[in-house]
Amino acid sequence: MKPRAARQLRALVLKDLRLELRTRQTLLAMALFALAVMLIFEFAVGSRTDDLTPFAGGVLWATLALTAVLAVGRTWVPEREQRVLDGLLVAPVPRLALLVSRIIAIACYMAVVELLAVPLALLLFVESPHLGDVGWVVLVCLLADLGIGVVGALLASMAVFTRARDLLLPVLFLPSLLPVVIAAAGATHAVTAGSNDLSEYRGYCTFLAVYAVIFGLVAYATYEFVFDD
Amino acid sequence: MKRFGERRALDGVDVRLEDGECLAVLGPNGAGKSTLLRTLATLLRPDAGTLAIAGHPCPKEAGTVRGLLGYLGHDPLVYLDLTARQNLELYADLYGVPAASERIDAVLREVGLLARSYDAVREFSRGMAQRLGLARLMLHRPSLLLLDEPHAGLDAAGRRLLDAMLEEARGARGVVLVTHEVERAVAQATRVMVLRAGRTVLDEPTAGLDPAALRARYERLVA
Repeated sequence: MKPRAARQLRALVLKDLRLELRTRQTLLAMALFALAVMLIFEFAVGSRTDDLTPFAGGVLWATLALTAVLAVGRTWVPEREQRVLDGLLVAPVPRLALLVSRIIAIACYMAVVELLAVPLALLLFVESPHLGDVGWVVLVCLLADLGIGVVGALLASMAVFTRARDLLLPVLFLPSLLPVVIAAAGATHAVTAGSNDLSEYRGYCTFLAVYAVIFGLVAYATYEFVFDD
Repeated sequence: MKRFGERRALDGVDVRLEDGECLAVLGPNGAGKSTLLRTLATLLRPDAGTLAIAGHPCPKEAGTVRGLLGYLGHDPLVYLDLTARQNLELYADLYGVPAASERIDAVLREVGLLARSYDAVREFSRGMAQRLGLARLMLHRPSLLLLDEPHAGLDAAGRRLLDAMLEEARGARGVVLVTHEVERAVAQATRVMVLRAGRTVLDEPTAGLDPAALRARYERLVA
């Protein structure tokens, strides 16, 4: 990456972090939402079974997929509400840098929420959680966040120029996340269910990495058209 | 030419601007003034015709062109939740401004906001935010200024400041100024263009033009 593009990307990411630190709107809403969804799962499923361990991965990633809708939905909102989008589009910033800054922002938001959600899921849903399990789940989170960030940033950037963006975004985004939820839940289950099936874990993690790469290539091929006119 | 659906927002408009020239664009609402400015700013892609700025064809070399432009629309294009300085730091990084800190101090001083540079823009009045927009505009020393009714929202001091900036730009930078004020167009521009329904109906140098006579012609042309 050229030094100027790196400076631009750093500035865009720093701007997102500054806006979030000042308003705390997105992260607070995401954290409370994730907590509420997990408690709903706990009450809805927990009262009917003694051991929730087999559901832990599924509940965690269903919660995080729903929470990601909030992060993606907030993408470009300050620019839209405060009417700054033209300022960014008329600046000599490669469109790819705009997209990558969105990917980083979404992945960062998800990572912060996972700091709360992963330990909570282990405590609420895994019968005898081990501290070592967290390390394995962290890698799953990193790979899944990359995929969520790429798909979310691409769809949010497409939707920002449409009128029905608030309706369109969840309808497009959630089905696109289905492979991530299946693979991340499978990988989490493989290392938290007690069997520590590392070959299954590796397979799911590879799938998550391939998903991120494929959608990264789609984003790379289409980003110019997304921001065009 | 630029279409929005079936409607031709710009049709056969030919703009040629020499170095240091100031073109004032007049016209009633919906005449295509802002569309023309947004097209020149590379925010819209023409459906037909060619666009080149400083010899760089668009959209092929849009990245280079954008570095030469200073665009000020109806909004100051700054984040309300960031401070004035944080906004300018962002734009300094996006435009690759060297010695950014000193340059930011200089433009903030110029627009009279240095003492408020650590305040969030949300705390500013509309006029102050617009003045910050002027600071953003001048930060990277653009070669071509694209201004869409820039006097709107400015108080008397802000208007004087903008007029001084335009005066300073005269002969040094190209300026395209969209305005509704005929007298201002004659006073500040070297050429005036009138658009109606996306077409050029007048394009003349302002030298020797009488503002009152131009106003009368303008009202006939757009009636």
